[in-house]
Amino acid sequence: MKPYLIVIPAYNEEEHIANVIDSTKKDNPQADILVVNDGSTDNTSALAKQRGAEVLDLPFNIGYGGAVQTGFRFAVEHAYDFTVTLDGDGQHDPASVKALIDTMEREKADVVIGSRFIEGSYRMGFLRKIGVRLFSWIARLYGGMRISDPTSGFQLLDRKAFSYLARDDNYPLDYPDVNIVMALHKMDFKIVEAPVRMKEKLKGKSMHSGFRPAVYVLRMCLAILMIFLRKED
Amino acid sequence: MSVSVRISVFLSGLLLFLVILGLVRNRKLREELSIVWLLAGVALLCSSFADLIIDPLAFKLHINYPPTLVFMLIFFLFAIVMLYFSIVVSELKSRNKELSQKIALMEYEIARLKGE
Repeated sequence: MKPYLIVIPAYNEEEHIANVIDSTKKDNPQADILVVNDGSTDNTSALAKQRGAEVLDLPFNIGYGGAVQTGFRFAVEHAYDFTVTLDGDGQHDPASVKALIDTMEREKADVVIGSRFIEGSYRMGFLRKIGVRLFSWIARLYGGMRISDPTSGFQLLDRKAFSYLARDDNYPLDYPDVNIVMALHKMDFKIVEAPVRMKEKLKGKSMHSGFRPAVYVLRMCLAILMIFLRKED
Repeated sequence: MSVSVRISVFLSGLLLFLVILGLVRNRKLREELSIVWLLAGVALLCSSFADLIIDPLAFKLHINYPPTLVFMLIFFLFAIVMLYFSIVVSELKSRNKELSQKIALMEYEIARLKGE
């Protein structure tokens, strides 16, 4: 067994999953690949198995966060040392995993967040940009953390961190965000950022379209409030 | 409140109460979840005599139009019912997540043991 587990949550990603697995394998021979099929109704699971990835099939769609947490639970059960979370839609460049690993070794961090803003530019909608700025600012106010990309799902976690997130409701069912960064900071995990490459999403409906940004901001404000109110677990 | 209105409110409350009992009897509604609805039925039954309490109470609370107090109480009762069911749904959602994750992990192990 390899020390790294790359967790790829995927929901109806038959168009991208094969390419994502192929490039992840090519760029990361030191890692096992786990696709968590989040109740897809297409051929995502079969294609992932064909490409040689380990596949967990959730019986129905439970949400991005729930799928990632399933991957963390798998990593705990199989005693992996590190997990990388990488999206199944091909947005995250698997070649950037090396940058995450280098940064973790150099900084002796527990969690490395891949940021699309440290190097290069990334275009995003106006509302989303405001959301990202707002939550970066909150993270900075909260613990002096300089997190430029708190919405990034491209992360490397050590065993201590992913074991904590694998427990009970320590990870949200929908989209983990700055609330998780803050919760990890509260538990004294060391969090740093590393530059990664992300492709802009061309197809498919973004979770930040329509009225969703407003709901997302409200939901995140509530999650942040809960971090202050909850006792440390 | 006229006698006919009093009787129809009483009968509506009784009907709700009996429907809930029937649902529990046929195991369509779990006993523990039916309590809150049975209480709503009892409240409706009692409301047929509500004017005897509501009017003096509204007067004491300086509410000029007593039905406002009735609406407030109904709103409060249903807010509690909805809150209760939201808690139940949240619990179910957490358990659903746990179960689906366990199924996925166990299916993987079974497939591995079978040598697939």
